[in-house]
Amino acid sequence: MDRLFFDAAALVAIVFAGLMVIGRNPVKSVLALVVSFFGLAVTYVLLLAPFIAALQVIVYAGAILVLFLFVLMLLNVGPEKPDGARRPIQSILGGLSVVVFAGLLLGMFRASGARVPVMAQPAELADPAALARVLFSDYLLHFEAVSVLLLAALVGAFVLARRENT
Amino acid sequence: MIGSIPLSHVLLTSGALFSIGIAGALLRRNAIQIFLSIELMMNAANLALLGYGAALGTHEGQILVFFVIAIAAAEASVGLAIFVALFRHTETIDVNKINLLKW
Repeated sequence: MDRLFFDAAALVAIVFAGLMVIGRNPVKSVLALVVSFFGLAVTYVLLLAPFIAALQVIVYAGAILVLFLFVLMLLNVGPEKPDGARRPIQSILGGLSVVVFAGLLLGMFRASGARVPVMAQPAELADPAALARVLFSDYLLHFEAVSVLLLAALVGAFVLARRENT
Repeated sequence: MIGSIPLSHVLLTSGALFSIGIAGALLRRNAIQIFLSIELMMNAANLALLGYGAALGTHEGQILVFFVIAIAAAEASVGLAIFVALFRHTETIDVNKINLLKW
């Protein structure tokens, strides 16, 4: 049953990611990516990470993609027009990347067979309180470093987007 | 619960999303759509991390994903600020027309 839900959510994520890439209108691309991220959030819940799923919806779909949409509206970027130019290098690299990753995946499946390293599942894995205990004890320094990084990004974005004559 | 989801399905989904993202980053011309493709690739990596974290029964996968989301937020804010500054100078965010630093 979980498997069925996982496959359905993964399919939604993949289909809308494909729509995001092939769409020419950037606004539609952002909206397709929002749906794709909701599908991914469902898979995160099934992978025993409900807190990360909430973060995915609130921070990724809610904040980051809305920021993208905001900048798109601000810049008033129209749909990409086909310019007729062949871009052979990009096309070859894009096709090659897909082939290489598909080959790597197939090779991995053939090598590992059907053996899935499923271990005993601790019940506290899905518990946000247990996650917080690990995060604020073993990884406290990293957490603080990320807060400094976010401050640096805030200052950097302010300096970059500021008008120069004021 | 994870026992009923094969890790191979997680990795297959992750690989498919990463391939779609890398193809989009190479084939699109609009800088914002390239940026969206990069966000998609980060999410593919997050899915693989969570899959392994759940399969191994540790919290480390979730903690790494937590940091990746925070860094993606920082990256999005700085990247979009660069696009706004770029648009103010060149009136376009088509990456084929912005070639000041090329060659």
